[in-house]
Amino acid sequence: MSFRLRRFRSVLAAAAGALLLTLVAAAAPLIAAIYGAGPQDTFADDLDAYGMPYGIAGGVSTVHWLGLEPGLGRDLMIQIVYGLRTSLTVAAPAVLLATALGTVIGAVAGLLGGWVDALLTWLTDVAIALPLLLCAIAVIRPLELAFYGPRDAVPGTFRMTVLIGLFGALGWTGVARLVRGQVRALREREFVTAAVALGAGPGRILGREVLPHLGPPITAGAALLLPTFTSAGAALSFLGLGVLEPTPDLGRTIQRSLGYLQTDPAYVIFPGLALVLLVFVFTVLGESVRRAFDPGPGR
Amino acid sequence: MAFALVLAACAACTDNPRGGASPEEDPVRQPTGVIATDPAASRGPAPETAGAVPGGTVTVFRQTALARLDPQRIYSFMGLSISQLYARRLTTFADDGSGKLTLVGDLAETPGTDVNGDCRTWEFRIKENVRFETGAPVTARDIAYGIARSFDLTLAGGPTYLQEWLSGTPQYDKAFDFEKDKAALPPGVEVPDDRTLRLRFPKAQCDLPFAAALPATAPVPAAADTGLDYDRAPVATGPYKIEGRTGDTELRLVRNPQWDPATDATRHQYPDRFTLAFGADPVAQTNRIMAAQGPDASAVSFDGVPPSLLSRVTGDPALDPRMLRSQTPRLTMLSINTRRVTDLSVRAALNRAVDRESLVKALGGAAVARPLTTLLPPSTIGWHAYDAYPKSAVDVAGAGELVLAHADDAEGQLAATSLATGLRAAGFTITTKAVPADNYLPEIQKADNPWDLYLDSWAPDWPSGAAVLPALYDGRSINAEGGNNGTSYLDARPLDAEFDRIQALPIDEQSPQWAALDEKIMREYAPVVPLYTELTCTIRGPSVGGLFVDSVFGSLAFVNAFVTP
Repeated sequence: MSFRLRRFRSVLAAAAGALLLTLVAAAAPLIAAIYGAGPQDTFADDLDAYGMPYGIAGGVSTVHWLGLEPGLGRDLMIQIVYGLRTSLTVAAPAVLLATALGTVIGAVAGLLGGWVDALLTWLTDVAIALPLLLCAIAVIRPLELAFYGPRDAVPGTFRMTVLIGLFGALGWTGVARLVRGQVRALREREFVTAAVALGAGPGRILGREVLPHLGPPITAGAALLLPTFTSAGAALSFLGLGVLEPTPDLGRTIQRSLGYLQTDPAYVIFPGLALVLLVFVFTVLGESVRRAFDPGPGR
Repeated sequence: MAFALVLAACAACTDNPRGGASPEEDPVRQPTGVIATDPAASRGPAPETAGAVPGGTVTVFRQTALARLDPQRIYSFMGLSISQLYARRLTTFADDGSGKLTLVGDLAETPGTDVNGDCRTWEFRIKENVRFETGAPVTARDIAYGIARSFDLTLAGGPTYLQEWLSGTPQYDKAFDFEKDKAALPPGVEVPDDRTLRLRFPKAQCDLPFAAALPATAPVPAAADTGLDYDRAPVATGPYKIEGRTGDTELRLVRNPQWDPATDATRHQYPDRFTLAFGADPVAQTNRIMAAQGPDASAVSFDGVPPSLLSRVTGDPALDPRMLRSQTPRLTMLSINTRRVTDLSVRAALNRAVDRESLVKALGGAAVARPLTTLLPPSTIGWHAYDAYPKSAVDVAGAGELVLAHADDAEGQLAATSLATGLRAAGFTITTKAVPADNYLPEIQKADNPWDLYLDSWAPDWPSGAAVLPALYDGRSINAEGGNNGTSYLDARPLDAEFDRIQALPIDEQSPQWAALDEKIMREYAPVVPLYTELTCTIRGPSVGGLFVDSVFGSLAFVNAFVTP
């Protein structure tokens, strides 16, 4: 498996990129400490009377490498670094959750067949049909009211947790379908028939005979979920349903920046590039993993 | 990809040199308001506007459609501006856009006669030759009918001054049931003959001539009143009438041939038509007017230039003559919930600690807002500047944790982030609490709301302290559900007598007294942290002239508008 992966240079490049972005996100507080600006620090003195940053390209300088946000005057690079952290903190656990759910549901449906399969397939179809946006509207505010009193601050991590749950609960369907198909094919193979003939129960067959063969499709499915969730999280922030101020967030930063396209294009381009890079790296990684595991010809 | 990156990098190479031209401070416009005593001031025609020529179409852009046309139900800034074109009222402001305000009679020959000199009985004599678009003469009865229908709660939405003053109670619908007998007149309204309207109030109402300038005193012919449907096609009395509308995207006004300029001291009829175009966002509006293609050359943006485009628009000297910039009376303050923050020294410390400059920058800078330290806006007659609590280091001991509630929309988040940052820097412990934006106002208007600080705003209906201070700080109007219009819930007995005393004074003696009370409330109670007044900053096409920002609401005024070919 590993030697096949190595044959794809794109995999290595994408993996390196993904690792770098993950490291940047994980080390955000360290970066902020070394760089000398925190996510809540404002530099209003570096803004003109209209709230626009002084200097070239939105205030790019040796102190503020990517300039400042117009209006509030926060350091844009630190906002992006912390925004990446928010995006990945939501997307990575959501991928694990969705993959685990999808694997279990798909494997059970494929292995048992019959009415269980029919029921779970129907459930999958329902989950596919549920619109993310409506669910987000229906879930986020009532949950906040249930968990926090009217005077309690709602920490940014709460909305992030809700988003993880939401993505997990709605995003497992692709993996489930993939796994169900694989399991149904595996079920008819001789080694499984042999195990059944030897008297193995469904648990043993699933754990010992079937699941070990599912690694590649699950890995590929999971790798492709990460960019999906990242962009969905940004889209929800875009609509005001995601993470709120003062928790930094890429989607919200981009949404706010769009109005400044004519007056401060750098403010649009830097966070935009960061999001494109994030989604691109993980998409390439997912696609490469999928192709590496693909036993078909024409590679 | 690489090409796109290079392109992007070049596009990003804007330069904003430090120490470059900073925007000129618009002078504070201090209105000098008077009520016209000479009946000649209320007679038409209005003085000609320099350079005005007849003909053409003025297009007005706004993002959201104008919700209401029914004069008794209008209360939005655009409604108040546009209704001047088709709905005449008892009185109106003659305004030159520089702050020189004169209240004159509109349908009435004078801005009202205080019959007994006690502000309780007001009489209006209706002008001759004022007609509806149908050709029927406007009578005192039509105006009385308009006032009567505003008592109907199904036709609510407009101002409630007249109803409350006439009936002497905020539950005015109990005092007069319009539905029961539509021909009856509300308590205190008398029509001795077709040209006389008399209003009797249980208490002195010296501000009546100002309140009568709201479109709620526009006449409605009883036969044409279709209840809620009247909103679609109100019968015009002004220089323009409603031609039609296309869904929520366009509203068209055309000339009303029945309007007689000799009866009107403030309006003109230069353009052939006005088109109100809805849908484009402020960025698109500004870009279209800058480009000035075709009909956009005679267009104006009602929403104004958005903060994100300000530096581009103000940086282009060629656009300067096409900018309309002025202060407005709209106030924004950080309300302090005086029921929770009972310690005056904490409220004073909040006032000393707040960082207004950073907040104004966050909202778009010097072109959209101006820091304010007074309770009254500078557009109030008699306003004087003071700062009771100059910025300084503060002792925050005893303040505890303060919860700052804000709307969870983009602007609410921005303002709260900026305010909280400033207060934390001064040593306060601030928790920010996001409240769903659609529910924000009803929540802070509950007297028992659980928060300590929240942003609130107020726009007075006429340029007198009477439209701000009693409305926001008279504790007697706080009731179980909520309050007066203020959200600091200040309930200070020593102020009651002051409010009553000043409100009973003749109108021209009130102004300095309100200004003195403004400072007294701030120094002795500090119920809010005054933050800023909004500024109007909008752009017009090169071929539309005569537009100005009115001194009463700070919105665009269309009465002098004209189109040059």
